[in-house]
Amino acid sequence: MLSAIAAARRRSGLVLALPAILLLLAFFVVPVAALLTRSVTEPEWGLQNYVTLLGSSTYARTFFNTFFVSGVVTLVTVLIAFPVAWALAIMPRRWASVIFAIILLSMWTNLLARTYAWMVLLQQTGLINRSLMALGVIDEPLQLTNNLVGVTIGMVYIMLPFMILPLMGVIKKIDPAILQAAALCGATKWQALRRVLIPLAAPGIASGALMVFVMSLGYYVTPSLLGGTANMMLAELIAQQVQSLLNWGMGGAAAFLLLVVTLGLYAVQLRFFEPKESR
Amino acid sequence: MKMRLFALATASVFAAQGAMAQDMVFTSWGGTTQDAQMAHWATPFTEKGGSPVVADGPTDYGKIKAMVEAGAVSWDVVDVEYDWALQAGAQGLLEPLDFTVIDKTKLDPRFVSDFAVGSFYYSFVLGWNSTNFPDAQPATLADLFDTTKFPGKRTFYKWSAPGVIEAALLADGVAPDALYPLDLDRAFAKLDTIKGDIIWWEGGAQSQQLLASGEAPIGFFWNGRLSALAADGMPVGISWDQNITAADALVVPKGAVNKDAAMKFIAEASSAEGQAAFAAATGYAPVNIGSADLMDAAVRATLPDAQTAVQINADMAYWAEHRDEIGNRWYAWQAQ
Repeated sequence: MLSAIAAARRRSGLVLALPAILLLLAFFVVPVAALLTRSVTEPEWGLQNYVTLLGSSTYARTFFNTFFVSGVVTLVTVLIAFPVAWALAIMPRRWASVIFAIILLSMWTNLLARTYAWMVLLQQTGLINRSLMALGVIDEPLQLTNNLVGVTIGMVYIMLPFMILPLMGVIKKIDPAILQAAALCGATKWQALRRVLIPLAAPGIASGALMVFVMSLGYYVTPSLLGGTANMMLAELIAQQVQSLLNWGMGGAAAFLLLVVTLGLYAVQLRFFEPKESR
Repeated sequence: MKMRLFALATASVFAAQGAMAQDMVFTSWGGTTQDAQMAHWATPFTEKGGSPVVADGPTDYGKIKAMVEAGAVSWDVVDVEYDWALQAGAQGLLEPLDFTVIDKTKLDPRFVSDFAVGSFYYSFVLGWNSTNFPDAQPATLADLFDTTKFPGKRTFYKWSAPGVIEAALLADGVAPDALYPLDLDRAFAKLDTIKGDIIWWEGGAQSQQLLASGEAPIGFFWNGRLSALAADGMPVGISWDQNITAADALVVPKGAVNKDAAMKFIAEASSAEGQAAFAAATGYAPVNIGSADLMDAAVRATLPDAQTAVQINADMAYWAEHRDEIGNRWYAWQAQ
């Protein structure tokens, strides 16, 4: 009886999801499949595009850059987002909603405009360098764009809301009494944070970090404008191959590798971090 | 009644579609250049009885290829780089132009081929911010590569295209008539000497921003972008010594819906009047040899076609043939 109800529920769920599934099939799965097909058929049948991609030190470097930059961005985002999410969770509701709105507001501004704004702020003759030099903090302008620093600043800023949101959800659910209990048992603040709060917030950190990491892997505009060519990431390689060289075989191959990695990471998250009861 | 309303509604939908199908779509790179193209080519074209022109952009070669392959071409005339036009024509991505509609007898033969006529031509020139170099001013391409005499970041065009490779070779002492075939090893070796000091610009607006802010006080620019900065009162220096010409081209993607209108539009755009007005507005040179007589002498003096004595033509046919090979090497070198 119970299983019959569950099955009926599953069916009706499927019906409700049908429009979304069809939309994804028509406008995502089919074009992606077409691109992937080209990766093994252009310029001729075979895996030569993958051999080139994986065999060349330049492309290997691009892969490394992609993961390295995404990793750095994820780490910095977690470090900044955690205290913010915590503060938002324990703040009076009204204040929290104001600050939350400010964080969300940044998401509604055009990405390109935000990236250009960072360029103007960060460059050697930009506001930040000029102010620091006027204050006498530095003598020489700092190199803040066209390198890893620029990409990290620009991307962390964009990714923060995606980290704060899931973190806040998890931290809000933590009973404050647990932290009091930890204090009563003699835990220092640092111990309470490290051994109580962070483990309890781990699912939020994991899902936020995965989201940020995966989004970073495919980022194009920000690394391209703030990063310089030495930090070239995979999305830029794909754009060069598809737009400038019309080499869709290589572009498709690079896109396929990126997709495989992304799905792999998602599988890892499902396996290790999903809360047990929702399975 | 209901039936009739429905019929009316369908009829008006079809009528609307009919009107839309007549609008010709012109795609270019955006910014002030496309504004001038719309103002001096599209507007007169429509006023003289041509179809309305809708602007789209930016130009995207991947998109052109995708549209042609899918048989759904929504761009009628596209402004592309000339070497790409030659390559794409050979690959069957473009319609042959109708020279019974377009008068090619008046066009500079450097910029006419079966599938493309020049949109305008421009020069890559050495430019600098004079406030950064108050004493000695840069003068030659060798100065562009000399970081001891002229310290600071230098900015170059990011994409693989005619211009920067040639500049590196010329700066390294290669004679202009010995440029082709390009000695890529030598060019990259020369570029390696300043690689850490290069900031790449992806589009004209960015190149202006880098120069005007002093972020990159010296670089290699599209001449029109420097004229625009100078016209705004920025302290900009230009050296025409060994300026390297390249061109944009107007092409019609294979299977374009409004092919006939496209040919007429190109005829208007490449006319003496259209080219003269566009050149005056942008600082780029006309491809129509009749335009010079229509222009103010003072304006003409600022254009690349007044600098032919110190000018070097990038070999578009060579580039069309070796575009992929150079491109792969260029991007690999950049990423190293």
